[in-house]
Amino acid sequence: MKKSIHLALTVSGVLALAACASSGSGSGSSSGPVGLVQVAAYTGDQAFEAQFADSIDFPAIYAVNKAGGILGRQVSLIQMDTKSDPADALTAMDKTLATNGNVSGILGPDSTSAATLVPLLDSKHLPMMIAAGEAAYDRSAYSYLWRDVPPDPANGEAIALWAKRQGYTRVATVFGTDAGSQGDLPGVVTGVKAVSIALVDQENLTPDQPSYRSAAQRLLAAKPQAIITESDGPTAATFFGELTQLGSIVPIIGTSGTPSTSYFTPLRGAIGNANFSKYFRAVVVGNPVANPAVPAFNAAVLAVQAKLAKPVSQWENNSFSESGYDAVIVLALAMDAAKSTDGAVYNKFIMQVTSPGAGKQVVYTYAAGMAALAAGHQIQYIGASGPILFNSFHNSFGAQAVEEFPANAPAVVVGTISQAAVQALNG
Amino acid sequence: MGELAVQAIGFGIVTAALIAIGAMGFTLQFGLTNVLNISYGGVMTAGAFAALLAEEAHLPVAIAVLSAIAAGALLTWLLGRTLFAFYARRGAGLFEMVMVTLAVSLILQYGIDAAAREQIYRFSFPQGASLHWGWFTVTVTQLALVAVAAVVFAGIEVLLRGTRLGKALRAMADQPRLARTCGIPTGKIVNVVWLLSGALAGLAGLAYVINSLTIDASVGTEFLPLVLAAAILGRAGSTRGALLAALLLGLVTEEVSALGGAAYATVAGFGILAIVLATRPAALAGQAAAKPEITV
Repeated sequence: MKKSIHLALTVSGVLALAACASSGSGSGSSSGPVGLVQVAAYTGDQAFEAQFADSIDFPAIYAVNKAGGILGRQVSLIQMDTKSDPADALTAMDKTLATNGNVSGILGPDSTSAATLVPLLDSKHLPMMIAAGEAAYDRSAYSYLWRDVPPDPANGEAIALWAKRQGYTRVATVFGTDAGSQGDLPGVVTGVKAVSIALVDQENLTPDQPSYRSAAQRLLAAKPQAIITESDGPTAATFFGELTQLGSIVPIIGTSGTPSTSYFTPLRGAIGNANFSKYFRAVVVGNPVANPAVPAFNAAVLAVQAKLAKPVSQWENNSFSESGYDAVIVLALAMDAAKSTDGAVYNKFIMQVTSPGAGKQVVYTYAAGMAALAAGHQIQYIGASGPILFNSFHNSFGAQAVEEFPANAPAVVVGTISQAAVQALNG
Repeated sequence: MGELAVQAIGFGIVTAALIAIGAMGFTLQFGLTNVLNISYGGVMTAGAFAALLAEEAHLPVAIAVLSAIAAGALLTWLLGRTLFAFYARRGAGLFEMVMVTLAVSLILQYGIDAAAREQIYRFSFPQGASLHWGWFTVTVTQLALVAVAAVVFAGIEVLLRGTRLGKALRAMADQPRLARTCGIPTGKIVNVVWLLSGALAGLAGLAYVINSLTIDASVGTEFLPLVLAAAILGRAGSTRGALLAALLLGLVTEEVSALGGAAYATVAGFGILAIVLATRPAALAGQAAAKPEITV
């Protein structure tokens, strides 16, 4: 009997502790490390996201912690695996919030998990820097949602503008049917029509099939001058490898979702290094800028290179990584400005530390921003991706870069598409 | 349109060859042991990675091929004679064995993934020149894959119908208890089947990555549904059926891809499987109902 009572008390105690942990989530504790949750697919068919997330998180948190942390507290990274599935993501987020009382901000969600996680996180007053490009968030009513990358349609429209600038009159699209690859397609189709380029063939590929020869043959028969594409790496390798075997390769324009080792390695192998360097270009989010934030970002990348996917050169000057890095710095500076890690308190300071204004001190690094705030100044953080100018829907659209990718060397910017040009396309 | 349809026939035959190699190995083992071996996909991956290691060590192509075959054979034999035999001795039924093989499949997939550092690798097997015959275009390597599938089929047919071992194997597949009573060395037969099935799994994994040009830890499990579909469609245990079913799946998927769109190709392939199972359920259920005994 005594043993049973003891067991019952123990179970009750555990349940009570669990309940306390659950109720404490979402506000950030006032001591110990400041928790930032990275929401990404670390496993499953979207697991390529993980290396992008690493290229953002480790350099940014290194920069923040090296400068002394947030309000004197170090930042800890909590990696939450969506398993490439929105339902799994919801379960994982519940568990993450229940078991981590120190969560102050969210890096993500991604496209796969945004639909399920954004409402939950917003209700818990957790500011989130989403990486989801869906147009649904262009005019979002969620107070805690922020996005410093262009929405997917904007990337697709920039690609169409680049194609027009190259003089193409006939293009084809090749997109994976997975959700992560489909986001840019509507923008591409709209943009191509808007600039009066003929869309001569559209191939939608079910990922990871043993062959796409018939689709490749049909595309060749349509005689496009260029192919606009996004899919996972193995699917791209199989398709473009077979395309090369069947005929001649034409210029390929990848979306902002394509530049990564997990895409480049298979594709280079399939079509050859020379063909890849000659024919492949990607239109990526983020405007290549020259300001003190860029070397600071690159230095942080090199400082944590042991934790990043090789070769590390792919992350230096990487526009997507720079945007994510800036997002982390902005969250940290907002907490410093608000003197609080509670999302409900510091959320409105995100706009304050990024918007320009008379008398504001412009800063390019976290350390400089923290020092300026400590000295009583108001600041405008300009990041490695350039100025971050959030609109009333918490979206910041910048220019986009067109990059080529020489073997064993960092990406080279060969053109830019301004946000004004994209907006003009939309009328 | 007509040209595309004709071209798709050639592409379909190449795809069928890939599926057939795996399906023949799978159906041979399933027909004898009655184990719906889901870990077959993991073995295909292991075979492909063995070839990749040989390739990265700059060993000759023949060694890479032999590595895939040997890795598949050894791994399958070990699994069959140790783990699967252990559970069979403990009275595992058909469903329980499926769960065991599923668990093994996951262990293999994630184990390989961890060992491969969760990376995707390119598989730079020489593709050979592209050959053009009228509307047909095919590479030398793809022709070789078709030839390999034909040789595998012929070899299994000769083994099953022209040798004492093959006759004993067929006898065991039909009536395992009677075969044992008649003095057929069942242990030896089972060993041969595990080894042969595993060798074909390794070869199928290699064939898949030769064609897809990339390799990661999930290639086998992604390819497995098509292999399973061909094996089931062709009636479990029948290599001829597996070959014909693979041909049907290959042709249908490529024709649908050419005429209707690549996104519908897989749907069409599995649609056929669903229709056949609905109209001829014995293709799946007949074998298991008549001979529920697991022989490992």
